[in-house]
Amino acid sequence: MTLLEAIIAIPIVAALAIAFGSPTRPTAMAAAAINLLLILMAFAQYDLSVEGVYQLAGSHPIITVPSVEQPGAQSILLGLSTGVDGISLVLLLLTGLVTLAAVWVSPAEDQIKGSKRLYYLSSLLISAGALGAFCSTDLFFFFAFHELALIPTFLMIGIFGSGPNRVRVAWKMTIYLGVGSMILLAGLVALFVALGGQSLQFGDLQGWANAPAAIASASLENGIFLTLLIGFGILVSLFPFHTWAPEAYATAPTPTAMLHAGVLKKFGLYGLIRIALPMLPNGAAHWQTLLLVLLVGNILYVGYVTMAQKRFDLMLGNSSVMHMGYAFLGIASLNVIGVQGAVLLMFAHGISIALLFALNGHLRKRFGTLEFDRIGGGLGKLLPTLGLLFGFAIMASIGLPGFANFAAEVMIFFGGFAGLYSQQEGIVIGPVQIATMCAIWGVVISAVYGLRAYRNLFMGPLPDSSKERKLVDLTLAERLPLILLIVALLVIGCAPGLLIKYLIPSIENISHLAG
Amino acid sequence: MEVTLNHFLFVSGLLFAIGLAGVLVRRNVIVIFMCLELMLSAANLSLVAFSRFNLTESGGPDYNAQVFLFFIITVAAAEVAVGLAIIVALYRAKQTTDVTQINSMKN
Amino acid sequence: MPAYYLEIIVVVLGLTVLMVETFVSLRDKRSLGWLAILGLLVVLVLNFTVVETGGEGGNTPFWSFYVMDIPAQWFKGLALLATIFVILMSVDFSRVLSKGICPEVEDDGVDDCAENQVALSEFFALPIFICAGMMWMASAHHLVSIFVALETVTIGFYVIVAFMRRNVGSLEAGVKYLILGALSTGFLVYGFAWLFGVTGEMELGAIADALNAPDVHRTGALFAFALILIALCFKIGAVPFQIWIPDVYQGAPMPVTAFLSVGSKAAGFVILLRLLEPFMASEMLNANVTSVLVIIAAATILFGNLAALPQTNFKRLLAYSSVSHAGFLLMAVASAPAHPGVVSPVAAVSYYLAAYLMMTMLAFLIMNLIRVQRGDENLEAYKGLAKSSPFLAFAMLVAMASLAGVPLTAGFVGKFWVFVLALQEKHYYLVAFGVIGAAAGFYYYLKIVKSMYWDSPADAGSSAAVPVVVAWPTRIAIVLLVVGVFYFGVNPGALLSLFL
Repeated sequence: MTLLEAIIAIPIVAALAIAFGSPTRPTAMAAAAINLLLILMAFAQYDLSVEGVYQLAGSHPIITVPSVEQPGAQSILLGLSTGVDGISLVLLLLTGLVTLAAVWVSPAEDQIKGSKRLYYLSSLLISAGALGAFCSTDLFFFFAFHELALIPTFLMIGIFGSGPNRVRVAWKMTIYLGVGSMILLAGLVALFVALGGQSLQFGDLQGWANAPAAIASASLENGIFLTLLIGFGILVSLFPFHTWAPEAYATAPTPTAMLHAGVLKKFGLYGLIRIALPMLPNGAAHWQTLLLVLLVGNILYVGYVTMAQKRFDLMLGNSSVMHMGYAFLGIASLNVIGVQGAVLLMFAHGISIALLFALNGHLRKRFGTLEFDRIGGGLGKLLPTLGLLFGFAIMASIGLPGFANFAAEVMIFFGGFAGLYSQQEGIVIGPVQIATMCAIWGVVISAVYGLRAYRNLFMGPLPDSSKERKLVDLTLAERLPLILLIVALLVIGCAPGLLIKYLIPSIENISHLAG
Repeated sequence: MEVTLNHFLFVSGLLFAIGLAGVLVRRNVIVIFMCLELMLSAANLSLVAFSRFNLTESGGPDYNAQVFLFFIITVAAAEVAVGLAIIVALYRAKQTTDVTQINSMKN
Repeated sequence: MPAYYLEIIVVVLGLTVLMVETFVSLRDKRSLGWLAILGLLVVLVLNFTVVETGGEGGNTPFWSFYVMDIPAQWFKGLALLATIFVILMSVDFSRVLSKGICPEVEDDGVDDCAENQVALSEFFALPIFICAGMMWMASAHHLVSIFVALETVTIGFYVIVAFMRRNVGSLEAGVKYLILGALSTGFLVYGFAWLFGVTGEMELGAIADALNAPDVHRTGALFAFALILIALCFKIGAVPFQIWIPDVYQGAPMPVTAFLSVGSKAAGFVILLRLLEPFMASEMLNANVTSVLVIIAAATILFGNLAALPQTNFKRLLAYSSVSHAGFLLMAVASAPAHPGVVSPVAAVSYYLAAYLMMTMLAFLIMNLIRVQRGDENLEAYKGLAKSSPFLAFAMLVAMASLAGVPLTAGFVGKFWVFVLALQEKHYYLVAFGVIGAAAGFYYYLKIVKSMYWDSPADAGSSAAVPVVVAWPTRIAIVLLVVGVFYFGVNPGALLSLFL
């Protein structure tokens, strides 16, 4: 068993152990902590000098067929293959950090109404699904692992969700994600068939895709890319398929919201970068303008919707949809620095949104509501630590320098403006540049709603109603997972090179991207 | 007038159509069941006709089809035995053989 | 050992069950069920040992009636497995069964009929005979043997569908199945007559050669194809001949419904594959045949999935679900590749049916327990099951996830290869229908999960709060099926590589 297989297996084994009676919280915590350590070990073992292959690879062939290239030999059609490059490594780190924090902030067992085992088991399964999807180098398992999270999420929102609409919200999310993943499946299968139908392994697929005229017709390639874009887009809440996300996150129990918004949603972006961009370069170029229009919808339309929210949880849900627009912008710029920014933003946003949903959970626990009007202001005096950490989280989410989000967004904007000036043509303002300008407006929007939320909750005079209430500030146990996430954001924010050095070779390896 | 294969096929087609029409429009289960048997007879007639007109190399009829016919008759007899038993049981339970009355399962 | 010994052993087993009931006085006749299961398990093991002889390999005329190839062996195994699970369910079901057979008891009378477990041994023996028919069907390679095997199965089903002769629902289901089954037999035989008339042959290999000849009567061949297709669409429950499915499934005794939905469908598909092969191989007919199949597949997927959405009776819901799965299977059948790809339609259909057997039997085993112990087949009865019987609720969750096609379950792998085949043949619209259907499936399968996990029983203190008792053989069967659904979902090669 390779290191990566262990990383995928540990949460699954822990989930099984919990199902069969192992103590819930200690088991889950141990699994998450061990996994984070193993992921760090994977970083240590990763060899930066080797390029263009998946490292730490392992493979269990499941279906083999006679090889096309070497007569007589067998090649793998389908296999449980794992491997990482820099992109997946960064996302593994994200998953490890968020999983640990999510399990940590899960309420103590006596506060869970309903099955405690199911509560912890679901978090671990969602995490295993994400880890598996990021590690798989086989199309089948890449898709399959992501779907592993669907049923636990459905159950978590349905059973443990809060709010009056939980039934409707859980259905809406599940149907949306079900439709999205079926469209995605059709697209992935079409890609597999178009590239010869002889192997589902990423390496082989990429090899055939690199051959000239790999896919028979341009319209076929464009069609497949569009199908993948819609499929992945629904999973990442690309405008106009985003309406499931805000309500689902607002309703979901805290660990589910953290894992889903923080980690699982990044699967769609990862898929675009891992599969759609490198294997369908012409399709990507063909639909670039469409993607730009949609992502501006994410940033501006959803941005305004976010400003109008009167509940903090819905505001967070919408803001997470909005920030996906930046990641899409990085991808749509079709150049190396933009895609690097997109991956870094996936990391930074994942951590910061998980942090915010954790704080959201703490507020909900203390007030029972998340409406700005009913909580009132002035909490900074009563809950100083919560206020401080909340301030960090909001600043990170806005993209203040010093946090990883800033580095990521700056790289995305650089990517967006990369073609702005050329010596022959002077200043060129194309679709990408226009979209980037709109996106910069988005920064202002997020500053507006972020700071307003902070002011509404923590500044100003205390309302009379709050004075009688006994509010307890964060305990040490509650602080630690939050501090873990903040430290990660600050470290990467101050030294983004720590991660970018892993990203550069892997992303430059995607041919067809502008330098 | 010489009787050709087409004449046989026409008659068997007619039988089949009458049987099918009976199944679709009649309401008495017994009559429907008789019409079903009519459809099988139509098939039998076609088989014999094809057998008589598809001569083998030796010049005789193709006995494959005629053997098949006996299988069909046997199976049809078994079907009738089981079918009438079920219809009798239904009549005992509901005192009717009208198919429009068989409608207790609706959602 | 020659392959046809298997069928002989199964028939003898069925007769043995009847004989033992007649000549041995048993305290509890359910033990006959265990005898039957044991016997079938032995045959299942023997199924792996038989030699492949057939087609050209044999030298007696017998081998023009009977082939033993990988699909035949596979479908024999499926028939045996399905029958084993059905008899296992029948043992649990015996209490309800006697209520459906025995007259109402007078107040002071002793319930002799129920005491004596009247007719229980027939209820075990008939599935065994049907199983023999299905096994023969898997090997049938001649119009006569196909017909006789198919009718063995169909007539057996007439009896067991209407088995509860004092239960109006069961009788009505029996009559409906009888009329529509006989109607489809009529079409089939008439189609066979025409197929013989056009080709002058009865053996499928010779028919294939004849259909490929340039001088074949095209209209006649297509007429025969249409008649045969109508008949087989009845058997597999494809639109527009699916009308009998919901009522018959709902009315029939629970084990019989399971047998119909798994065994009868698998048998229908094995015949469909065998009979379509000559038509698909004929260059002249291929295009027409394919386009008809594509249209039927699309309509079946759409109808099955959309009609399932509002259902509240679980059996009826699974009836529509079985229609939708027939649609997905037809999608694979319609995608016979012009140039063979990695996975053939036969392999995809075989895998899909094996997966379908596992997940549907799992669902029916649990439904059967609930039906027997709570007397209810509606979704209401499943509310709060996760609290009262977490094991059953989890197993049902697995079955539903697999039926919906959630990855890492066997049901997903089935759909995956179906999509691969359809896209290889560039049936893009058909794939679009498949996506719509599969997405709709998420809703109605998860509706059951919702009942079990979110909802509380309607009235507290009712029977719904009492844990469901699961006997150990049923428990073992459920565990095996759950493990199977996951194992073959993660490792599809274990089954598929037989066909590569």
